[in-house]
Amino acid sequence: MRIQTIRLLSGLVWKNKLKSSSTPWLIGIFNVMLFVALFSGYRHMSEQQQLVSENSREVRQQWIDNPDKHPHRMAHYGYVAFRQKFPLSFFDFGMDRYVGNVVFLEAHRQNTVNFSEASLSNGLLRLGEVSAGMILQLLLPLLIFFWGFDLIAREREEGMLRLLLTQGVSWPELIIGKSLGLFYLSLSIFLPAAVIGLILLSLNSLTGVAPQVFMSFLALTGSYLLYLLVLSLLAVFISARSTSSRAALIQLIGCWLFFTLMLPKVSQLVGQQLFPAPSKIEFDTAVEEELIRQGDSHNPDDPHYQALKDSLLAAYGVDATQQLPFNYSGYVMREGERLSAETYRQHQERLVDIYHKQQNVVRLTALFNPYMAVKNMSMAFAGTDYTSFHDFEDQAEYYRYELAQTMNELQIEHIGNQVQSSADKNAIISRKHWEAFPDFQHRFLSFGQMLQKELVSLMALLLWLCGLLTLIFSVKYSVN
Amino acid sequence: MNRYPLLIKNFVRSRGLITGLLLLFISGLVSLHTGKYFLDRNEEVITKTSHYQQENIDRYVKYHPDEMGLLLYYIRFGLVHTTPALSGLAIGQRDINPSLVSVTIRNLEEQKYATDLMNPMYQLLGNMDFSFVLFYFFPLIIIAFGYNLVSEEKEGGTWRLVLSQTPRPLQMLYVKMGVRYISVLSVLLLLLVIAKFYLQIPVDAAFAIYCLLAVLYISFWFCLVWLVVSFHRSSSRNALILLTAWVLLCMLLPAGLHALVVQWYPAPEAYATVLESRDGYHRQWDRPKEPTIDKFQQRYPQFSSFRHPDGEDFSWLWYYAMQQMGDEQAATAAKLLKEKLRQRAAFSRVAGWFVPTIHTQLTMNALSRSDLLSQVDFLEALEKFHEDKRLYFYPKIFTEAAVSDENWNDFTLEYHAQENRTGWLEALLPLLLAGIICMGWAKWNWESMPLARKL
Repeated sequence: MRIQTIRLLSGLVWKNKLKSSSTPWLIGIFNVMLFVALFSGYRHMSEQQQLVSENSREVRQQWIDNPDKHPHRMAHYGYVAFRQKFPLSFFDFGMDRYVGNVVFLEAHRQNTVNFSEASLSNGLLRLGEVSAGMILQLLLPLLIFFWGFDLIAREREEGMLRLLLTQGVSWPELIIGKSLGLFYLSLSIFLPAAVIGLILLSLNSLTGVAPQVFMSFLALTGSYLLYLLVLSLLAVFISARSTSSRAALIQLIGCWLFFTLMLPKVSQLVGQQLFPAPSKIEFDTAVEEELIRQGDSHNPDDPHYQALKDSLLAAYGVDATQQLPFNYSGYVMREGERLSAETYRQHQERLVDIYHKQQNVVRLTALFNPYMAVKNMSMAFAGTDYTSFHDFEDQAEYYRYELAQTMNELQIEHIGNQVQSSADKNAIISRKHWEAFPDFQHRFLSFGQMLQKELVSLMALLLWLCGLLTLIFSVKYSVN
Repeated sequence: MNRYPLLIKNFVRSRGLITGLLLLFISGLVSLHTGKYFLDRNEEVITKTSHYQQENIDRYVKYHPDEMGLLLYYIRFGLVHTTPALSGLAIGQRDINPSLVSVTIRNLEEQKYATDLMNPMYQLLGNMDFSFVLFYFFPLIIIAFGYNLVSEEKEGGTWRLVLSQTPRPLQMLYVKMGVRYISVLSVLLLLLVIAKFYLQIPVDAAFAIYCLLAVLYISFWFCLVWLVVSFHRSSSRNALILLTAWVLLCMLLPAGLHALVVQWYPAPEAYATVLESRDGYHRQWDRPKEPTIDKFQQRYPQFSSFRHPDGEDFSWLWYYAMQQMGDEQAATAAKLLKEKLRQRAAFSRVAGWFVPTIHTQLTMNALSRSDLLSQVDFLEALEKFHEDKRLYFYPKIFTEAAVSDENWNDFTLEYHAQENRTGWLEALLPLLLAGIICMGWAKWNWESMPLARKL
């Protein structure tokens, strides 16, 4: 391996490609597409961020503006949590359009996160979206294959190959040199986009509260560079192994189709069938049934709550709940909330576990499919993957639980035991308690949390790189 | 004429072409399996829900046998958005919007938009339904079959031979293309026949239009290939042009249009419905009861005779009037939201007339009632369903009718089925026109450029 030779060969690729009239055009078109995608993605993201901030402020104001009242009414008044967009999400939309944005948080009940953008759109969304991520993951490979398919095969067809090899160039030098040339070409498309992306990222108002975006950006850039390098090596390697440039092109396009269109969809079907997930109604019914088994606070004859009552009466040495030194119905509700939240959490964990298993089927295909690897990493670092969404769900549920229990505590502490209804004048507490309860703040994942889930994908890309390099050095090539 | 059987034999013997057809057929079968899985799962959810609904009603009737108002706080009634078997071929938005929604007679806005539990990774990757295979794979195979129709002969040096041997070389190209067309068409028709029986699709207008649309769609791609080869370019140039057309028509234009639609018709009303309905209902707790009840009775004069008992803190009349206020306050936002969704659908449809691929996708979803308009239609049906349930139970709640007088077994799932809204002409015309334009242009090319022209 001589660096000099490799540099020479890669330079030649540049020179030869730029001679063709279509190359500057293609580079130009891709750059324009990326700029448009980045700007429109950024604009949409900022608008959504603003919408979320405005609505969150309104929710907070409404909450504080509530008059003095019974705390349980506030628990039912509840809160509305909005999912905020990670400042890097304009780079790769990932699952962002498919997951909900807003959830109503109230006592006793876990609502779904609703209004995903997909639920408000027609079928066109399903044909894909133009984001920088999509162009880099899906279309740029096609261009790399188009540029790379004849890099060696054509020289073979034109008889130049023998000449090169007799001049003392080794096969690995030839392939790596040409691959690097191809890789540099692809950088003419990727690097401007990365720079624009970085500028837009630093302009975003939320970047200040989430300094981890810069680490994410670095990792995102790294993933794409690795991906482009793997594709360049793959293109030139196949070109070197094919008998004709036409065969190389067909093989490369076949690879592209298989990687990007076939495998992801087939693997999702396999995952779904291997690990069937319950529907909403099954999930809700299972939760409801388990709650009833544990104790139904709505059923007057329920043994669990009967036992609770008896033990309380015994402990305080009184005959009736009205004589207890604290608000009994608040106490029961706190117990009910604890039980139902716990049960819900267990079922939710089981569901998420199934989703993770399903996703792992897709994630494992990254070992055979560099496209899936980069897609997963890109989504993760852009904060638009399932982990990010699920983290929001968790934060919302945690907040909901805190809200309900805080209101129950207030009731236990401040509300008399004699009151019959929440409309009773004695059952009202000051509104200053509402303000004392903190606002909901959607916190983004840390960089470590993002990276953790996608180590498999990173390994897959590195394996591809090592595998290809091993192949390049070990395989026998023919000059004809 | 006796030369043509040779062309056919040549075609059949060519390994690449048979592989291509086989690939189409196998991915077609996988897609039918996807559709079947989707339909079965849907059916299963409906069966289970029907069972759970009955269980749920029985349980609460047992717990609250003498308070109608309290009972109806709990029990849920399901409305099914009927899934035609055809949606197994074009799943569209049906994996995002639930095909069954269960609601209580309380505030509807808080229940209307509830989503089903779905792994978002699957929604992102999408379904490999038949429409997907038709949309993406068929064109690619058609491109692979036809891009070098003339140029392969020129590049292989046989074109001169053809010209000297055949009196009408264009005729030979027609036959060559025709053989490819018929072979791809046969695979398509075979898959549709299998689909008909495997998914048990009833033969109605929607299915007939779907099939014709599928045939016209692949015909359009053949016309496009025919147009591109009529320019007498080299094989690699043709391949590049056709692949670019494919990326443009199947990926970039639909995605670009979607981005435009979202930009031009933003829907902030979605969030507003949540905030308004919550505020509209919960605020009533802290307000005097009379205005709430007055508003309710203005809306429903038939219940004017009912009164909130004096001095009482609570009555079901007041409670359900409060619930109603949530919907009333969100009504404007909800109406605007539906309006926005309609505008989105209408704009995409018009844009689709100019882009055959977009038109095909949208029309197929419309035919299988898995498009956005069907969803809006279902939301309206749900509103009516909910209103009917309210109007049925309100008098019983307010008069404190006996729970035992009601036959609770009658409350089974109800179904909302939609008629096919898509006409023959609007479905087929855009594709027909696009095909004719390609063919006309190609004809002009063949006539104006001598066939003997060199590369």
